[in-house]
Amino acid sequence: METLLTRHLDATTPLNLAAYQAIGGYCSLSAAFDLKPEKIIETVEAADLRGRGGAGFSCGLKWRLRGADAPSPRYLICNLDESEPGTFKDRYLLYGGPHQIIEAVIVSAYALQAERAFIFVRGEYAKGGHSLNQAIQEAETAGLLGSSICGSGFNLQIEVHLSGGRYICGEETAQINAIEGKRPNPRPKIPRPSTHGLWGQPTTTNNVETLVNIPHILLNGADWFRSLGVNGGCGPKLFCVSGKVRHSGLFELPCGTPAGELIFEHAGGLDEGRTLLGFLPGGASTAFLLPEHLDLPMDFDPVAKAGSRLGTGSLIVLDNSTCPVEFTLNLMRFFARESCGFCTPCRDGLPYLAQILTAIASGEGHADDLALLDELCATVASQSFCAFAPGAVMPLISSIQCFHTHYEQHVTNGHCPFDTTTQGERQP
Amino acid sequence: MSTILIDGRTIAFKPGDNILRAALEADVEIPHFCYHAALDSLGACRLCAVEIKPKNSNEAPRLTMACLEPAKEGLEVSVSAAAAQQVRRHVIELLMINHPHDCPICDEGGECHLQEMTVTCGPPYRRYRGRKRTFTNQDLGPLIHHEMNRCITCYRCTRFYQDYALGNDLGAMRLRNEVYFGRFQDGPLESPFAGNLVEICPTGVFTDALFRQRFARAWDLNTAPSICPHCSVGCNTLPGARDGTLRRVRSRTHPELNRWFICDRGRYGHQYSEHCARLLSPRVSGENTSYHKALNAATTRIKATQNCIGGIGSAREDLEGNTMLQALLNEVGGVFTAFNDPALEAATIAAVSWLQNSAGAPSLIEMEQIDAALIIGDLTAHAPMIDLALRQAYRKGAELTLFHSSPTPLAQFTTSAITVPPREMYAKLSHLCTLINALLAGRDISDDPMAVIAKSLIKARQPLLIGTIETLTATDASVLAKLAITLGPNARLTYALSGPNAYGSALLAPEGNAMQILESVETGKIKTLIVAGNDPFSDPRFGLRWRAACRNLNTLIVLDCILTATAEAADILFPVAAWTERGGTFVNYEGRAQSFLPVFHRPEYLPSAADVIADLAKYLECSRQDVLSVLQDTFPDFQVPAPGTLGSPIPVSLPPISDSPSAGSPLLSSNNSTWQTALMSWYGDETLASFAPGLTSLAPATIAMIEQATATATGIVDGSKIRLRGSADSVVLPVQLNQNIAAGTVGIGRNVLVRLGLGHGDPIELEKVL
Repeated sequence: METLLTRHLDATTPLNLAAYQAIGGYCSLSAAFDLKPEKIIETVEAADLRGRGGAGFSCGLKWRLRGADAPSPRYLICNLDESEPGTFKDRYLLYGGPHQIIEAVIVSAYALQAERAFIFVRGEYAKGGHSLNQAIQEAETAGLLGSSICGSGFNLQIEVHLSGGRYICGEETAQINAIEGKRPNPRPKIPRPSTHGLWGQPTTTNNVETLVNIPHILLNGADWFRSLGVNGGCGPKLFCVSGKVRHSGLFELPCGTPAGELIFEHAGGLDEGRTLLGFLPGGASTAFLLPEHLDLPMDFDPVAKAGSRLGTGSLIVLDNSTCPVEFTLNLMRFFARESCGFCTPCRDGLPYLAQILTAIASGEGHADDLALLDELCATVASQSFCAFAPGAVMPLISSIQCFHTHYEQHVTNGHCPFDTTTQGERQP
Repeated sequence: MSTILIDGRTIAFKPGDNILRAALEADVEIPHFCYHAALDSLGACRLCAVEIKPKNSNEAPRLTMACLEPAKEGLEVSVSAAAAQQVRRHVIELLMINHPHDCPICDEGGECHLQEMTVTCGPPYRRYRGRKRTFTNQDLGPLIHHEMNRCITCYRCTRFYQDYALGNDLGAMRLRNEVYFGRFQDGPLESPFAGNLVEICPTGVFTDALFRQRFARAWDLNTAPSICPHCSVGCNTLPGARDGTLRRVRSRTHPELNRWFICDRGRYGHQYSEHCARLLSPRVSGENTSYHKALNAATTRIKATQNCIGGIGSAREDLEGNTMLQALLNEVGGVFTAFNDPALEAATIAAVSWLQNSAGAPSLIEMEQIDAALIIGDLTAHAPMIDLALRQAYRKGAELTLFHSSPTPLAQFTTSAITVPPREMYAKLSHLCTLINALLAGRDISDDPMAVIAKSLIKARQPLLIGTIETLTATDASVLAKLAITLGPNARLTYALSGPNAYGSALLAPEGNAMQILESVETGKIKTLIVAGNDPFSDPRFGLRWRAACRNLNTLIVLDCILTATAEAADILFPVAAWTERGGTFVNYEGRAQSFLPVFHRPEYLPSAADVIADLAKYLECSRQDVLSVLQDTFPDFQVPAPGTLGSPIPVSLPPISDSPSAGSPLLSSNNSTWQTALMSWYGDETLASFAPGLTSLAPATIAMIEQATATATGIVDGSKIRLRGSADSVVLPVQLNQNIAAGTVGIGRNVLVRLGLGHGDPIELEKVL
């Protein structure tokens, strides 16, 4: 497939405004301004573009549900606070071609009739944020941003907000708090941010990858966009593959590409003599999938049906040389560290889980620890304030299910079965 | 009214209530931590899990947080459901992971919400095997002790401190299970409401540092409903005593006044009653003696000077004491006043009269609802809880306007704050009155710089006009009242008065008595002066005159619980019970009479002032000796409200104030002196509280504050020294330049004013010291 979103990306010398316009950049602006905003939303909904930030909610529906009569000022937030372990797609978009993002934000803001847009950039992507700011200035000078863009009467101001640097800032309501200058704790979802978001005003938050599809949908139509996917998926998807594969990296492929094709064809498969133990399909906060799922189309619904989530479409691959207990412990330590500290189950539950897991991984687990993990995970997953903790325990719950024997071996043998110092040889 | 069902009990709820609020208001307990009625729902602790019965029987019941779930008609809620209990058990288990389990040595032990919840909901055993997280504590000053390891991260402290009380030096820092509630650096908490952290914290992170010095277990404390004696608001308190000493003061809920909170002066000012120089034995001519002998001595002297007697009650003496003194003086041919300062007497009587002849002062919760206010003076120092109520109004969007002479913390929350020299306050207020009249008459006043203020007050749904009486003259108070009348029936008027019973005391004697007594003492017409709970010698403006005049007296009889300058000079001194050691009645700024009970008794015999005067009346064989019957005679329609109730209005009315400004008011006298004084008060600055070492250790440095522009014009630089000369003395002080002080005024603290012999707004001589 010819790539759509990544074809012009160049992280060393990203296209400037003129070069981007020369390859057709910013064409979608005039196409958009010719249409009524409701018409654009209709098209996006028909294209079945689903949110690429992890939740997979229909972008068009989200826009429609905000309502055309939402009171002014209305805000659009482009979420570029990519912090999910194993996920690096937004970074490619940011570093490779900031103008593509700006174009996408302009047409999306037009569709939403938002007069102010924020691009919330992960703190570590400071350089990318800097070049994004330069690109915004270029666009402003060229009249592509500001008041009455291209004579359309539509005004838009884009601000880059560089994150203070925490995973939770990627959560919609925590991000709103962060932009407002407050501590980035999540807010209650009722009233919804779509009506009571930034400074109490209607606010729409979309992942950057979701938005960069919008100009293409506008230019080529919903049917064309849907036809780009395979196995029931719609449009292109940026997949990140990392872990125990030979060529980890970013791959723009049709949404719905089977997992096996991604791992073995595009990412070069496993090292010689290794077998696949399992993989996380959508970043660290998704449930494990097993070798039996290799034929599964990487699309939202099939992955959900298999008990996991497509999430950000970031595969982390484990082969038979990786101890799944230690791998899960690594994730749990990450999540315990990144908890914002707002609600009890997340703040104190995740370190507790990490502590039990540490004991198991180092061979000091108790016989009833697995039951304790299950018991605590149930409360942490269901009773936390936001979606962070449920996501955080997802890999743990599934890891215990998928690799139960590994866990039991740790507990009963009193050491890690992969530990060469006690076993002499690495064995699964 | 709509109802919900909680475990079979029908609970009524108001529109907008969530399940938890409805339950708690109906006294149905749902375990919770982060929810607080003042701070509303947060949803962080996850302890208030309840199960909601589904509408259709084929659906599964739903677990939810009671604090976030709106109450809806007919909703069936179960607190006792097994699934809800399991969540609570887990939440407690998680909170206990890092909790130090130091209950046996924790100051909060016995009244710890965490302890109660853990026993009620938690698992009996610990499963966590890892290390506990530990924190370094901060030094938060002399009043509050910090112990972060006990923290359960309910965010109540920051929500109170930042969101409710609008303080900015305590916050939540860091993240994960290391969220730290503290200051950016060690140092005393700056908010005058910081002490409430002690009560709002559900465990022992913030504890009362003064109580800690003389600690007693909560269950060992004697308590009784009391009323705060430190200002005119009349906050309800619950002092705790043990072994004949007072240990602490906490707030007691009054739904219309202080609700859950009190200010730090109210919480920590109680140390006056434990002061090392506290009077415990009667004295005659400087010698300790028995109560009986002192009474005999007083009786002899009073009899010898029949008809040449004066009496000064006090705004901080209760209704009983003042009324008894007045009754006694009536019988022995004496004159009574409750004020040593004639100007304050006039201003207070004017204020009370205006309040009685208008809609009356709003309660604190009514003040929280106003949408515009004109504030005159430093409310934070004179009535801190009114300041807190206005901060709530500000949070809801009220436009606050401030006329002030010296810096006040409330200024940062105002739409416009104008510095006005004390002697120009009347002109400023009159001008505003003229503007409002002009606007109401449809004239254009838009070129006047104060037009915005006038417009803001006119367009307000309910504007509030509030003045601090201690820094106003009677004419200032009257023009403020006229402003309220001009603004129409929706405008509310109130005054922060000078003491807990200023309102009640002002009802007892006509204006002019204070000056009459002072002049009579000066001319020798009064030979015996009885002073109850007052300190005329320390009055900034009249102290010097009182001291000189009192040399003419045969006998100075003083009744007080603190060793004031006047008490030290007394010929006969009766130590009386402190406010926590006696019952009585205060009439607050609204005219609400509230009674209180003695919390404990000291081993020494310490009667109340009313008791001493009643005994004197017996010794003098007066006809009126009984406190209750004297109260009944003085206030015929008044029933003393029961302690612990909401109080009742005192049904007495003062005649309306005549329109003409009273002549000879000292603040209005024209004077060509360039400089005038401005009282720079702070929240701990009050007679009783000035005997509380914990609080006074936080007093601001003694400086002279001068406005930047005036200083530059006269060549005074920041940090240089100036000599101030008053009628009594001169002092040399370092200069601090500030924008928030009126031009041409020198801001000085109360102690310096007393030393100089100058009142607020008096002319002062100033010279540079090289």
